[in-house]
Amino acid sequence: MTQNSSSIDPRVNRLHLETDDHPTPKPALDQLETFEVFHQKKVGAAYTYVGPVHAANEEIAFLFAKEQYSRRAICSGMWVAKTQHVFLSGYADDATSIYDNLPTLSEVPNAAEQSYEIFHLKKRGKAHQHAGSVTARSPLHALYVAKEVLQTSPAVNVWVIASAHVLRQEQDQDMWATTPDKKYREAMAYRVQDKIEKFKAEQKA
Amino acid sequence: MPNLAVKNLLYQLADDQLILGHRNSEWTGFGPILEEDIAFSSMAQDKLGHSLAFYSLLHALGEGEPDTVAFMRNADQFHNCQLVELPIGEYDFSLIRHFLYDNAEILRFEALSQSSHPEIAKIATKLKGEVKYHVLHANTMVKQLGSATAESINRLQNSLDYAFPYALGMFEPSEYGQELHDTGVFIGEAALQTEWLARITLVLEKTSLKLPNVSTIQPVYGGRKGQHTSHLQPLLDEMAEVFKIDPSAEW
Amino acid sequence: MYGGGNVFEATTFDNLAQEDPAQLAQFEARIARGEKIEPTDWMPQLYRKQLIRMIEQHAHSEIIGALPEGAWITRAPGFRRKLAQMAKVQDEVGHAQLLYSAAETLGKTREQMLTDLINGKSKYSNVFNYPAVTWADSNTISWLIDAGAIVNQLANAKGSYGPYCRALDRICAEEAFHLKYGHDAVVHLATGSPIQRSMIQAALNRWWPPIMTFFGPPDKMSTHTETLMRWKVKMATNDACRQQFLDMYVPKIWELGLTIPDPNLHKNEHGEWEYTEPDWAEFKRVINGDGPCNAERLAVRRTSEERGAWVRQALLAPKATYVKPLA
Repeated sequence: MTQNSSSIDPRVNRLHLETDDHPTPKPALDQLETFEVFHQKKVGAAYTYVGPVHAANEEIAFLFAKEQYSRRAICSGMWVAKTQHVFLSGYADDATSIYDNLPTLSEVPNAAEQSYEIFHLKKRGKAHQHAGSVTARSPLHALYVAKEVLQTSPAVNVWVIASAHVLRQEQDQDMWATTPDKKYREAMAYRVQDKIEKFKAEQKA
Repeated sequence: MPNLAVKNLLYQLADDQLILGHRNSEWTGFGPILEEDIAFSSMAQDKLGHSLAFYSLLHALGEGEPDTVAFMRNADQFHNCQLVELPIGEYDFSLIRHFLYDNAEILRFEALSQSSHPEIAKIATKLKGEVKYHVLHANTMVKQLGSATAESINRLQNSLDYAFPYALGMFEPSEYGQELHDTGVFIGEAALQTEWLARITLVLEKTSLKLPNVSTIQPVYGGRKGQHTSHLQPLLDEMAEVFKIDPSAEW
Repeated sequence: MYGGGNVFEATTFDNLAQEDPAQLAQFEARIARGEKIEPTDWMPQLYRKQLIRMIEQHAHSEIIGALPEGAWITRAPGFRRKLAQMAKVQDEVGHAQLLYSAAETLGKTREQMLTDLINGKSKYSNVFNYPAVTWADSNTISWLIDAGAIVNQLANAKGSYGPYCRALDRICAEEAFHLKYGHDAVVHLATGSPIQRSMIQAALNRWWPPIMTFFGPPDKMSTHTETLMRWKVKMATNDACRQQFLDMYVPKIWELGLTIPDPNLHKNEHGEWEYTEPDWAEFKRVINGDGPCNAERLAVRRTSEERGAWVRQALLAPKATYVKPLA
């Protein structure tokens, strides 16, 4: 059943709202899967975690991530990966390192070598940053390798993602070229103090 | 020397972008999933921004201020194609419109960035990157939804069949076409339409959707000459509702 | 952006005595030394439940909060306002996305949260149950409701839960634009033509009562409140937030020559704002469904979800599996 009520919003009136009072609960995965998004502020900077998006696949995740996480921030590149492809270490206390407490790896796995991207969380509450890539035979093995070659300061949490699982978009930078021009959504473009002062002066007169 | 041919071209561009941007802004808050809601809104803002760039150029060439030109004209003074003024419908229609429109717009911008008219070339070059993203978005979503479920394929096909004659209206021949071509300002609508058909065919081939046969379709022309559907005037009335409370006021 | 100060349902006080004392002590010590809690840390049930409720309500407030200002997107006067109005409302949808994602890290799915919203089970900030009758109403919301939300958000950004803090940092960064935009629009109206001035005054008269309830009823200090403040879930009392808001914004309203429809509103000799106590009975009625716009707000959300179902279905990859987001 729909209604054509008079809302203040003409768009709402054109929607012809459904009036079903008992909508069906959403099934699992109605909102799709999640992908984790990383962005690079400028060429050469480390990729930093910015948040997740719900999407159908890496391609669409990238499109959504561009809008949600680089609307304002100038960006030179973006990476996305399925949440389920992220291997997590445990969490350590601040100022200690999870690398000091890795689960035991009794022997190097028999799998083929592949490249893994390593992301470090330096402090709880901050965001993960790309620390580098290592070659290893499993995510846990990758942590051991990373401990030797990438640990420069304490990491309270580490994410490991197989490089093959990371979709990278770094070439099409003209997509972001005009972002700084969009002043209408920058706080700095709004200056009212003059107007207020002028008004106050006029009121006094 | 600013002439009628150039101004006419600019009005067509700016009016298309304004009306489409306005229509797509109707989706903000109502989108099928939050992330797509956000994406659609960005593209709508881009369209508005593009129209403002072209209205600003028109103003530099002697036309009125962008706000006045956009908010105070009546439907018969608008030169947008009828495709963009149609109501947003459901998501399938808006997506198909976005797909058909932006695949044409990128070609238009690519052509205009080679224009002999330096200001037009400058704007087109600068804003091309944004349209490239719009095309990427449209193509990705059409490829996905055009091959997914019976319902999505059906809906998109119906919208495609409905929108296609209107889409051909984007390329309505202009009385200034020859002049614009000869002066190197713009290569012309026919060339654009041919390339556009090739591009959208390529994308649609990756789906279960069928492109209507252009030779059997009657294009819906008239928009470029100020002939519009019954949808445009109410759209303009709504758009200008607050502005017209006091057109000389600073809002 | 639109986190109302209070969390609307009374929480059953879970029995902390049933929690592992050693874990609880470690958890509290971590918070006391200023460290953030991250998703896989041990946490008491009460902490998890209260945070989910709070972040979820904040998210719902954003997506519903998009609607009153959304009503004026198509009618925004002039390019500058049109573009900015679109961007602002877009941000609200964006903030909803960020906040749902933060709540998901605690174990409630976005599907469950949206279901609870459209079924009327979960609440959102009560101010959005009122209509934005004119363009000036929209501007009033953009300025003063956002201002209220910022007071909340700045406080909560110092809270203990990592994902919520990260989301709030992103949100606060965008809020500066919202506040400036709203203020700019209100200033233009207040210093403009007689019609514009009377439009903004009328809007302010309509919105002042809901604004005064934005931070929620006066807190009753209970063991509950004390625990939540110790756990840095609740960062400031409702009254403290309200006072801060009045202190920052009443002078700014008055300097525009606008009147506030509360003859009792004044700062007393102790530097505290006194005002006519809001009608908390009305607040309760409205938040429980009996407001001018409740039905429409939920109907819009339900309709959007229903009409979009085929899209999400078609996007769903056959081998998709849900894993809650990480941070």
